[in-house]
Parts: sequence; C-alpha cells; structure tokens
Amino acid sequence: MDNFELICPAGTPAALRAAVDAGADAVYLGFRDETNARNFPGLNFTRQDVADAVDYAHARRVEVYVAINTYPQAGNLGPWQKAVDDAARLKVDAVILADPGLLAYAAKRHPDLRLHLSVQASAANVEAIRLYRDAFGVRRVVLPRVLTVPEIAKLNAEIDIETEVFVFGGLCPMAEGRCSLSSYATGLSPNKQGVCSPANHVRYEQRGGALASTLGGFTINVFGEGEQAGYPTLCKGRFVAGDGPAYLFEEPTSLNAMDLLPELKAAGVRALKIEGRQRGKAYIAAVVRAYREALESFAAGRPVPHIDLQAMVEGGTQTTGAYTRGWR
Amino acid sequence: MRDPDAAQTVSTPTVSEDRARRFETGLSRAGLGLVPRLGRRASDALLARLLRLLADRHPRAFEALREMPDASVLIEPVDAPVALLMRVGRDLSLHALPRGVHGADEAAADAVADAVIRGPYARLLDLLEGRIDGDALFFRRELSISGDTALILALRNTLDGEDEMDLVADAASIAGPLARALPVLRRNAGPVLDRIEAARRLLPPPLRRGIERVEARITGTLPGSGM
Repeated sequence: MDNFELICPAGTPAALRAAVDAGADAVYLGFRDETNARNFPGLNFTRQDVADAVDYAHARRVEVYVAINTYPQAGNLGPWQKAVDDAARLKVDAVILADPGLLAYAAKRHPDLRLHLSVQASAANVEAIRLYRDAFGVRRVVLPRVLTVPEIAKLNAEIDIETEVFVFGGLCPMAEGRCSLSSYATGLSPNKQGVCSPANHVRYEQRGGALASTLGGFTINVFGEGEQAGYPTLCKGRFVAGDGPAYLFEEPTSLNAMDLLPELKAAGVRALKIEGRQRGKAYIAAVVRAYREALESFAAGRPVPHIDLQAMVEGGTQTTGAYTRGWR
Repeated sequence: MRDPDAAQTVSTPTVSEDRARRFETGLSRAGLGLVPRLGRRASDALLARLLRLLADRHPRAFEALREMPDASVLIEPVDAPVALLMRVGRDLSLHALPRGVHGADEAAADAVADAVIRGPYARLLDLLEGRIDGDALFFRRELSISGDTALILALRNTLDGEDEMDLVADAASIAGPLARALPVLRRNAGPVLDRIEAARRLLPPPLRRGIERVEARITGTLPGSGM
C-alpha cells in the first residue's frame, strides 16, 4: 500500500523552504492576488517566486501545487485565467481549482496540467465528484471538513479518483466555498476576494486585562485575562444568546487528526493536508516535522507517536472535528 | 514524491544553547537600552546604519517594506527601557523611543504609531528573526497588537518571508571588534554558562541572590523573568 502524501502550506518563499526541508511531499501556495483564498497583506508568491520555488522543491523531489481557488466574477476572468496559464508555464505539478468555468478553461488550454479540486468547491458526494472527473479530468479532490471518517470511507469506495483531507490547522466549520459570514460583516468575500476576516476590518483592543476582537465594527469576542485567544472569524465568535455568551457555531480550536492516521488509511485517503498558509515558517517547520515523524512511524508499522503540537493551536485546544463527532 | 534522503534534520536547541540564547538576548536588550543615551541624532544615525545593513542582507524584504503605504509601527518590548518606532514606506526608518516609568504609557505610545506590537523582548526578537510563530504567541496572549491589524500582518509576513535573520549578529557587525568577538562568544557561551550555573547551585543563597542582582543590573531585567 502506498504511503500517504503530506501536503504542506507555504505563504512565503521562506515558509516553502521550511516545509520542504521539514519533510513535505508537496507544498501548496498561491499567487499574490485575489485568485487564491489566502489573499492577505505581505503574503503569497510573485511569478518569479514560484519559479524559484519550483526549482528548490523539484531539486529535492518535492512537488508544488498552486491554489487558484477563488471564484472569478463576470467580466473579470483575466486574472484567474492568467494565473492558470502562468502556473502551467512555470511547470508546477498541479493547480488546485474550484470554479467550474476555470476548470473547463484549464482542461482545454492545458490538457497535461494536473487538476485538483479545491476544498472551496465543497464536493462532498459521489455524483459531484464524478461530474468533476468526467467533465474536466480532475485527478484529486480535497474533501470539505464536514465528513466523518466512515463517510469518507464510503465515498472512496464509490469513486476512482484520489482524495485529500485536512489533518491539521484551522477548522472551517462551514462548508467551504459557501460561507458568507465574513462577507456579511465586511463586504469582502473569502470566495471572491480570498479574504476571510480581512485584516483591514479587524481591530484588537485591550479592555483592562481582557482582549476584545472586532470585525467590521462588530465585537465578536472578548477573551478574559489569561484566556487563550483565537482568530477574529465570525464562525468562532462568542455571542450573547439566551443564558449568556457562548460559541454558537464553533469554538476557537484547531484540527489535529494525527491519532486518526490508521482510520484515514483504512478509509482510502491518498493525501493529508496541513492548513496554514498565513502562519509563520516556525509553525510550518514544527508541524510538518511532527507529521513527517508520525507518518514514517505509521508506515513502518509502529504506533502513531504522540507529538505535542499544543503550542501551535488556536485557542489552546485541539479537536478531531467532524471526522469523529458527526458535526454538521 | 519527495526524496526521503533529501530530508534535513531540524535540530531542537539543547539546554546549553537555550541558556546561551537567553544570555545573548539579555545582553542585546541591555545594548538597545543604551541607544537613546547617545542622543537623538546619534541614535538615529546608528539605527539608520543598522537598517542599511539589514537592507543589504535582506533586499527582498526591505524592498517590500519600502513598497508599503507610508505608516509607522511601534515595536514595544514590555521589559526593556526603549521601544522602536519603525516607519515603513518610501521613507523607511527606525527610531528608538524611551518608554515610560513602570511600563509604557500605552495611550501615548498608540498615538505616535498606526499600529503597536507589544510583548517580552526575547519573544519579539524571536519573532523578528523568524524563530517563533507570531500567531501562536498571540493565541497565548504573550503578544498583543493594537491599531492597524493589516499593517502588522503585512510587516510580520514580509519579515517572516525571509530566511532566518540574525539581528544580534547584524547589530554586532556595525560595532567593529564585537563582530569579530561574537562568533567566539557564541561558540563558548553555552558551555561556560553551564559551568557557571553548576557552580552557582553550590553557592549559599545570600551570595546567589547577590549575583542575580548584579546580572539584573547588567541585562536590565529582573531575575527569573526569562530575560
């Protein structure tokens, strides 16, 4: 049986080198514009950066995937199509796309370019996945973080393309590509402009020992003195409803599915994805190194080791998310 | 598929290396504390020289800092006598500002900058050198930010996009003899400090506390604060 592929994030060239050196099988990244879902200030790659990244990674037999996974709007297809053309020209190993029109463009213009279906497409059932395979020749689908392991196993038994799942990092409790919470508060969309909780709409303020976070002028959380903080996303906001303040959608927490490697292997998963293109290279190095060690141990038939990644997680808590609790 | 033989081992610092790093951090903080005593003109000139040196060594990052809209970020170590005001944009510059007695007057500090980053000196240095993840520090509340979040994010991502910086060595390299001494000091600091620590444990408590007070005066911190 083949080993899992370990797919790792890179928001900057230095993070890419950290991921490659720490043991990635492939690194995913985005261009420095709205064509990818992590369009944050100071982040992402110029075309020259991507060319350098491909050279660095390929010299070490590591693959490079480019995420072009936001949705182009009517009358403005140019940046997205150019991103696909440039990714093909720069000889990346795959592009990660979500929009059907862009998938059609890539399949027609670059028949040799490997296509992965982004989690932003939220393809979570057999018929949807088959459609993307048949219509565009998609070779791999990244599954949304709303499926249990038994559901993933059932899905894999009925499809003949590779599946990739998230194993560590931010936990989007909403179906990706269909979330409008941040758009509601800020007028900017994760799906169109690539910005969930855009930084220029975020403010933090100290209120005595407490830390308040606001998004688009709405206070969305107040962390008490000494309480671990989280990202300023609405889905992890704490709201007053009924008896008092509570996390109505999801708590500030990070996904960590390291303990589920045997179950994910049995479910037929091909690749494991670490989230965090917005995180620093120290995070990338630590998490990739830990997962590489766990995978090597698992591949050798030894128990999956317990590796402490507590220092890296949001809100100081970890979860196996929907994989085990049937969350919807 | 990656070449398994090509994987590099990223080593975890030993206790000895940690001790040497804490010592080095304490000394560099003490050095930073001396900068404003040079007077405004001399300290600005010194920091401008340091900035030029960093720009030469990290051209990609500094070009990006110059391309940012004009703005200023106050980098404020809560356990040091000075803060650094960094202006980004065309007129990239660095200035040392004395902090208030008993910690910063936060309102006054916020007023001079578009954004403020506060945290222990050692953590800020680790962050600037890309040794630690800023989000993780923020989650643990060891780092606080206020003002223009997008500006802080852009600054953090730009600096983190560089391969690891060595600010202590860079600062030392503009001080002539110190630059030549630093590699030797670094090589020997860990083992020497280990021996001092072992000897210290054998001392009677009053003498031990006396030494700690002297160390605190040298490094500008209190013993046990983790420097």
